[in-house]
Amino acid sequence: MAEILQYVHKDGFFHRLNPFSKILFIIVVSVMCIISTNLVFLALLIIALLAIACAGKLYQELLDQSKLIIVMSAVFILITLITMPNGALIGYLIPEGIPVIGGLVPITMGGIEIGLILTFRFIALIFTFQLFLISTQPRDLVHSLEKLKMPIDYTLMFVIALRFIPTLQIEGNRIHEAQLARGYNPGTGFIGKIRSVAPIVIPLVSNALLRSNVMGLTIDMRGYRTGKRTVVRELKFQARDYGMALVMALVFCGFVALVLSQVL
Amino acid sequence: MIELNDVSYTYPHTTQDALHRLSLAVPKGSCIMVTGPSGAGKTTLCLAAAGILHHEFGGKKEGLVALEGKDVAAYASLSELAKTIGIVFDDPEAQMIFTTVEEEILSALEYRGLEAQVIEDRLASIMTTTYLTELKNRSPHHLSGGQKQRVALAATLALGNDVLILDEPTSELDEHATRRIVAILKSLKEQGKTILITEHKYAHFREIVDTLVVLESGSITAMGNPDEVMTDERVRTIVIPDFSGIRTRQQATATPAKPAAAPVVEVRNLTHTYGDVVALNSISLTIHAGEFVAIVGENGSGKTTLVKHFNRLLFPTGGDVIIKGKNTRSSTITELARDVGLVFQNPDHMFFADTVKDEVEFGIKNLGIPDGDALIDSALDKVGLRHTRDLYPRWLSRGERQRLAIASVVAMSPSIIVLDEPTTGLDGNEARVVMEILKDLQLAGHTIIVITHNREIAQQCADRIITMEKGNIISDSEPEAV
Repeated sequence: MAEILQYVHKDGFFHRLNPFSKILFIIVVSVMCIISTNLVFLALLIIALLAIACAGKLYQELLDQSKLIIVMSAVFILITLITMPNGALIGYLIPEGIPVIGGLVPITMGGIEIGLILTFRFIALIFTFQLFLISTQPRDLVHSLEKLKMPIDYTLMFVIALRFIPTLQIEGNRIHEAQLARGYNPGTGFIGKIRSVAPIVIPLVSNALLRSNVMGLTIDMRGYRTGKRTVVRELKFQARDYGMALVMALVFCGFVALVLSQVL
Repeated sequence: MIELNDVSYTYPHTTQDALHRLSLAVPKGSCIMVTGPSGAGKTTLCLAAAGILHHEFGGKKEGLVALEGKDVAAYASLSELAKTIGIVFDDPEAQMIFTTVEEEILSALEYRGLEAQVIEDRLASIMTTTYLTELKNRSPHHLSGGQKQRVALAATLALGNDVLILDEPTSELDEHATRRIVAILKSLKEQGKTILITEHKYAHFREIVDTLVVLESGSITAMGNPDEVMTDERVRTIVIPDFSGIRTRQQATATPAKPAAAPVVEVRNLTHTYGDVVALNSISLTIHAGEFVAIVGENGSGKTTLVKHFNRLLFPTGGDVIIKGKNTRSSTITELARDVGLVFQNPDHMFFADTVKDEVEFGIKNLGIPDGDALIDSALDKVGLRHTRDLYPRWLSRGERQRLAIASVVAMSPSIIVLDEPTTGLDGNEARVVMEILKDLQLAGHTIIVITHNREIAQQCADRIITMEKGNIISDSEPEAV
């Protein structure tokens, strides 16, 4: 079962960091990802993230996303090849020998480069957010966002949305099995696909709506919305957090310097 | 304590009372169990008693609901009510907001205005009471139904209230998990908690129940000391499922003897593993045409995994499954669906159509079977739902939805019908009706395979009982003489 973006209980250095340190980490890495168009820099960033995951005992969790990453990368590169032909021509996606459609979709160096930049950015961002979410207990996340004056309703909504990804996945499978047992045979082609959605999605959504009703009552009846919380087991800002902040500051300054000197 | 005095309630956009002139008192330190058919208003009663109906739902309300002597209307909000009362709903999944057991309970404790040390002490004590200490770092999707329900109960206990309302907390749990919940409630009662519980499993809860209430169509039809209430024969059939006579009726009509019948399901050294976990350990089994087989065992014993191989929802890791002479390895799910109908535990996992008729028609259309209308009507007749033909499936009661799920499969005319826990969430009468339907289907020539936690069903209805434990068949025998 793929447990996308779910908290993983481990005792690694990333788990011990204060959520604010991790939020700073997300901001710095995201900004660098978005600004930089240097392939080497982005590749190094991904390697650095994997190294951090290794140190925080979260390497396997990141690699579990390989399938998603490979599919998305292929899609990104294909889209850029089609929409942004640029630079030296290498060949054609559809060989020229084929009649009528031969020679369509030119493969260009520029297209590949932009595709790779988008892919690397995407991988780095996925890894960064995943490192944050799988190492931070939702409870700590709620409390940190509360300190940032985010309304509790929104933070709970965010946490619940993440928490229910595997639940919906499991429920979706059960519904799929129940319909298969009734001879449900998803059709082929576009219309078939559209038609085949209803028997799965309608029960899934109907059940989720019923469940959200109970969940709303549970939130109220447990007093989460009273806002008066006793602080227990709070992750204090410790030496490692100051260390993280310092490293992030240095990395960011270095990055700005490289950008200004037009190295990146 | 909880007091309901002459309470009536009608949901918005409906005309019929969900509760009708209902009066009930739950004295401090007592345990009251409310039972009754599905759709009788048990959940509505829980919502009313907790003050939730008053604060969250529209509709027409009459009468007085008081908590600890104070009208629920006088409480400012649900959060205020939550300082007095705790409620556990029947769906444990919807009551888990965070991603580990400990976090869930701790979060509930944090909003009670307690000192940090008191919170830690209470957390440890609740985890022990609810047998959750060893599971503290587990995530919701790595917990069984019983474990999840214990977490929901623990998070409610964390509130430290003396009044607890539980709405069918064990409806989807097996024997072992139910006994654990009863043990927890027993110790809570001994601590002086006031408990209002809606349940179908009277036998399990008998030792802790002071007053038994029978609710039918929104009204209380019997109430009092359980032993006295149970002397009424009509009430007895609602509270305790009575499956007697179902199997013997089949014997009277003399179906063909087993050995003469052809094998329809042959399982040969079937092994199935999920990762490193061996769910089925080289099991072999033959089921003949026209048999009524019960497969019993605790959760996780491999019952559902086994039957999912019959229509190839699962593919064998090792061994073979032969259905009516065809190996499932070389058949498709759609082909097998003609021979094997599988009714899952939760009927809500299948309903998507706008009417009961369309729902039943889905399977027939999928298999391309002609003369659908006649089959639909015949299937609905068999389960007694012809009158609901044009209704929206989700409007039906749980008992009716269960029967509709059976009709949806029966309409496809499979010779083998497999049902996973067909009596979940049903009262005594409804459970008997379902089992009678299955017996009638057997008499009509179908092979019936029922997965159940309930040994009573197996003993009273089946011709053969297969007991599973940890992926093995540990016994395969005829029911004991009753």
